[in-house]
Amino acid sequence: MHSLSRRLLLSVSVSLVAFFGVTIFVLDASFRDVSERSMRDLLDAQMVALIASAEPRADGAFAPQSGELETRLETPGSGLYAEISMSQPRDASWRSPSTAGAFVEFGPPLQAGERRFHYSRLSDTEEVAIASRGIAFEDESHARRNLTFSVATSLAPYQEQLWSFRKRLFGWFFGVTLLLLGTLGVLLRWVLSPVRRLEKEITAVEAGARETLGGGYPRELSGVATNLNTLLLGERNRMTRYRDTLGNLAHSLKTPLAVMRSTLPTCAPEPAKVLGGEIDRMSAIIEHQLKRAASGGALLGQAPLDVEPLVSELRTALMKVYARKDLAIALTVSPNAQFVGDRGDLMELLGNLLDNACKWCTSQVRVDIAIAPSANPRQRLVIVIEDDGPGISEANRARVLERGVRADENVPGHGLGLAMVRDTVDLYGGKLAIDSSGLGGARFRLELPGK
Amino acid sequence: MRVLVVEDEAAIREGLRDQLARVGFTVDVAADGEDGLFAALEYPLDVAVVDLGLPKLTGLDLIRRLRAQGKTFPVLVLTARDRWQDKVEGLEAGADDYVAKPFHFEEVLARLQALMRRAGGWATPQLTCGPIVLDTRRQTVTVNEVAVDLTTFEYRILEHLMLRAGEVISKTELNERLYDEDFERDSNVIEVFIGRLRRKLDPQDQLKPIETLRGRGYRFAIPRTSE
Repeated sequence: MHSLSRRLLLSVSVSLVAFFGVTIFVLDASFRDVSERSMRDLLDAQMVALIASAEPRADGAFAPQSGELETRLETPGSGLYAEISMSQPRDASWRSPSTAGAFVEFGPPLQAGERRFHYSRLSDTEEVAIASRGIAFEDESHARRNLTFSVATSLAPYQEQLWSFRKRLFGWFFGVTLLLLGTLGVLLRWVLSPVRRLEKEITAVEAGARETLGGGYPRELSGVATNLNTLLLGERNRMTRYRDTLGNLAHSLKTPLAVMRSTLPTCAPEPAKVLGGEIDRMSAIIEHQLKRAASGGALLGQAPLDVEPLVSELRTALMKVYARKDLAIALTVSPNAQFVGDRGDLMELLGNLLDNACKWCTSQVRVDIAIAPSANPRQRLVIVIEDDGPGISEANRARVLERGVRADENVPGHGLGLAMVRDTVDLYGGKLAIDSSGLGGARFRLELPGK
Repeated sequence: MRVLVVEDEAAIREGLRDQLARVGFTVDVAADGEDGLFAALEYPLDVAVVDLGLPKLTGLDLIRRLRAQGKTFPVLVLTARDRWQDKVEGLEAGADDYVAKPFHFEEVLARLQALMRRAGGWATPQLTCGPIVLDTRRQTVTVNEVAVDLTTFEYRILEHLMLRAGEVISKTELNERLYDEDFERDSNVIEVFIGRLRRKLDPQDQLKPIETLRGRGYRFAIPRTSE
């Protein structure tokens, strides 16, 4: 069960249904009980009346006195039937006029004092309940006669009553159940609203709109919220410290290396050459490895940054640096294009690519930055940088993009900058492709997280 | 040629001093930001080499201050911090170029020489001649507040012409401004640039900002309005 609401709703529904089910069952049974008792009382009353008014007839059978018979017993198909039967000295019986047309089997004769109650089916539609009693009477000649008195009543009215009762019972309970569940649903929303708030705040932190989660959560959630905040802050601090440490390390190693290099001219030329080579190697390692480690990738909860001002700054810087070349850098940047990640990383990435383009171009560099709204969010910022220089041959393109290529194996002249670009793009889960530009030189196309 | 080297690491500072002296520079040195600023303001320098990680006054602040005081000689920044973010910051503060540590002396020398050839970008932050405004910090040009895209060379030529608006500038002088090497460039190249500039600045041929004086050179015809 993956939803708290659903869990609650389901468990309450099941309990409700079970509870109501039992209640309905009990009520129903009670009603049936009462109904049956009332029917039996009717039968008994009729029985007593019948017995009281029974007298011998001329043909030897016993029958109720005329004029004393209940109307219903007189009316055929009324649903109330009676019989007085005798088996000795011969079979003789009286049946109420209501039995005309109805095939009522009242059952075998009884001995005096015996009682019987049973149900019988008259036809497809009618069912009757039959009560019988065996009574000893004295006839005119004071001989003892065993009589069996039977009264039967149609069950139809009782059954109708029962169904009408059941319909109402179910109807009401169903309505009440729905109402209860509806109320429960509303209550649940209210109870679970802190959870929804937590969800929204976490989403905001991930998007960079918030730095930490808010307070005021109920007791059960406040522990989670506090711990998450601690985690977020701790993570951010740790990352910053780590990056600063690495940055400082790289920086502080460069100064001694510079000192060594400055001292080289005072050494003998042969050792100076060897030393110089090693100093260069160490510089390259710092450049490549340490810089790579110091670039972080997006921190959790980082706000997105506008790309346009950043690119303009780089353009200005490069126009100055490459002033000894007649150079035009054409920028086309979507004004609302944003990068989701670290500013230093983007600057380093764009700086390296633009520097590369300016270095190799003849006189033109073109930059196009836009957002592709339909792409995967990690690849929404599309950056294209082209130049009109000699371009990169197909064989070298693969080498530049190859993973794990060491600094000294890189394509000469394109240097470490491109390896750094590749690493950064990988770090952000983006894409990098190199092909030929319409301008004649190389074309770099990157896809990075953006919005 | 007079150069100032501001660097707190003794071995690097002295190494540079020796090597620059050997190629003919007159070298002044300073070991911290404050001394460096003093030297930059006092001496008639042609170029400066400034380390960013200085005690007392940071390299960036030193550069900002000397620019604020109107010193226009080019500055080459020398530092271990060579992330693009730092490079951009340095260039925006007033530096003209950037060399990362550890450096090869040959590279420093080449860049210094290139910088000295194209000196003059820091005279004033903005040059205004009529409707044409040139922003030296951002290296942008607007005509009636509409931005005009220029190549680096076109920009430099325009900057030089506007700086000396009203004066005649020879083709040779413009050539020197653009190119590092001494060997002769085809002087017709300048004509091409002037042509392009005219087309870009004045497409309707109304302003006529650049005058050609046959046999003598070019002159920027619109006078400068003082800022």
